[in-house]
Amino acid sequence: MAVSRRQLLLGSAGALGAATFPLRSAVAASEPIKIGFLAAMTGPSSAPTIGFNRGVIFAVDTINAAGGVNGRKLEVITRDTQGDPTKAVNATQELISQAKVHAIWGPFNSGEALATTPIMARAKMPNIHPCVVETLIDPAKFPNAFRLAPSNSQWDDAVRNYCLNILKVKKIAVIGDTTGYGVTAVGASVAAFKKDGAEVVYQANIDSTQPDMTPDMLRARNAGAEVIVVWSVSTGMEARMFNTRAAMGWDVCFVGHPSMSSGELAGLVEKPENWKKVYAIGYKSCSYDASGKLPAKSQDLVDRLLKANVSIKDTLLWWIAGGVDAIELIAKAVDQSGATDSEGIIKYWNSLSKYPGYFGNYTFTPTQHNGYLTEEVVMSEASTAKNGTFALAPGYT
Amino acid sequence: MLASIIASGLAAGAIYALVGVTYNTMFSTSRVMSFTAGQLAMLGGVFGSMFTLKMGMPLLAGFVLTLIACAIIGIITEFVAVRPVLKSLDQHLYVLSTLALALMIQQVAAIKWGTEPQPFPRLIGWGSGVWDEKFWLPVAACAITIAGLEYLYRRTLVGRAFLAIAEDNFAARALGLPERNLRVASYALAGIIGGVAGFSGGELLLAFFANGALLNFYGFVPVALGGLGNNRGAVIGGLVLGLFQQAANFLVGGIFSSVAVFALFIVVLLARPQGLFGFSTARRV
Repeated sequence: MAVSRRQLLLGSAGALGAATFPLRSAVAASEPIKIGFLAAMTGPSSAPTIGFNRGVIFAVDTINAAGGVNGRKLEVITRDTQGDPTKAVNATQELISQAKVHAIWGPFNSGEALATTPIMARAKMPNIHPCVVETLIDPAKFPNAFRLAPSNSQWDDAVRNYCLNILKVKKIAVIGDTTGYGVTAVGASVAAFKKDGAEVVYQANIDSTQPDMTPDMLRARNAGAEVIVVWSVSTGMEARMFNTRAAMGWDVCFVGHPSMSSGELAGLVEKPENWKKVYAIGYKSCSYDASGKLPAKSQDLVDRLLKANVSIKDTLLWWIAGGVDAIELIAKAVDQSGATDSEGIIKYWNSLSKYPGYFGNYTFTPTQHNGYLTEEVVMSEASTAKNGTFALAPGYT
Repeated sequence: MLASIIASGLAAGAIYALVGVTYNTMFSTSRVMSFTAGQLAMLGGVFGSMFTLKMGMPLLAGFVLTLIACAIIGIITEFVAVRPVLKSLDQHLYVLSTLALALMIQQVAAIKWGTEPQPFPRLIGWGSGVWDEKFWLPVAACAITIAGLEYLYRRTLVGRAFLAIAEDNFAARALGLPERNLRVASYALAGIIGGVAGFSGGELLLAFFANGALLNFYGFVPVALGGLGNNRGAVIGGLVLGLFQQAANFLVGGIFSSVAVFALFIVVLLARPQGLFGFSTARRV
């Protein structure tokens, strides 16, 4: 049988392809699992990232030291976004098209996430982030995006639950700053309190640089407020409110935003006792009880972190725990799906029910990508920071 | 409530007045409205907190070093943002150059100092309630500064030279006055006054990078109300602004108080464009 030159070429190409296929599969099976890390490592919003980063490094080192995932090492490719949405967009595109990562953890502020989420959705890139803005999670529009932390409305639910069901107060003052966040959060909080039958006796948005908070505090007291709910990230404004409350001789509670537990407040309040009766949003997993004990799983993480010389004194435990959980969720997804393709990772995450992480237990379904459980959001005593954890506010058992 | 309005209103007003005087001091020798005035006051608070709390220096040493640092920033303003554009004052390029420098100062402060407010030390420890030192210290600092400036301008040769430059730049130069050196000195003096504003108001405003933009804005209002270059007008305008703002805070609330302040500002300028205490000058042709 005569063999033409064309047949010979085709046959050779086929034989070569067949011969290299197992080799390519072997290369794919041994190449590292690339995790993109959109991190605001520098700039004004870098504090959470520094905590998350410690968790990421700890988790990656631990998994790689144990042999990786099915023999494949984890490789974290970090891009410093500086909290800037433009830089975050560029970094996202570079991670997807150049670095060819298999999943992305981050970014860590909602302004960046609003810009990067649609880009990742177009690329079907598995993405997990802790940003709080509601619209970032929409399984129909962004089937690849999953939230690891509570959303704004979950915070709001937890604050309302504490005020109405634990403190058992009915007359509420809601105060926020004049930023877009402050105005939106106050509006949503007031509407939700009213829906639940509470009486919102005072509502205000205050410029966070206003030097004297006496006018608003007086109006709130005269209106009969039994608790002041605060939605602001301005520690200066919060400290002024705490100092004014003390100067007025008023013992009303403050309940609200986690920034009220920021360590900077220790230097801003005129007396340490001005920071008492302030209950900030916290998490069950990172709160210690009356005897000073953390939940067993969290204590185990703390012990492992300390053994690995990871500093936890100057950050929050939930940031570190969140970083650990994100890496473990990605590693587990590759392990369970057996590959690094995005469909497999997303399918695995969608199947999780009360997955036991360190920061929380996560539940995702194809139609629900807010993984954190609202009942795990609690109030903490703001002034009780200890190794990045806080005491549970009064009323919890 | 009235006592609280007066105490916090006068305190904020005195800080605004000092920032207004800072504007005027820079304007008098250069005819330039330098928008670094509020940033100098912000730096007064930031440097004060840095020297005394972070570096643990005694209050007096911290105060003196703060004033020196602010004076240096004032001199840098003259060299970097004012001198290059003096030849084209009619094009108002100084608005751009001084605003750019102000933004640079603010950004550097944010990066190096941090974006969260930092505590400012208690300076003397006198008074509580509405008599707390955080309320009366800025008022006292304003009074002492004005008295010092009056003495400088009326009783000293350097002060009279400043006035001569402010009155007629060309004639003063023709008489042999070192106009350039006097201008540099006036910017250093403005830096010191801004530093006094920030240091004395530190307990009220805290050491916070964002105070610069706020003080730039509210410090400009008394200058416009009182008349450009008129220190007495700036002081009265500043105190009135502080009292009105605080009264509006009590009566209509935070957001609306700003609306009330600027509504009043616009009404005053519509009625008297040269300011309440300013006067129209004939234009030389």
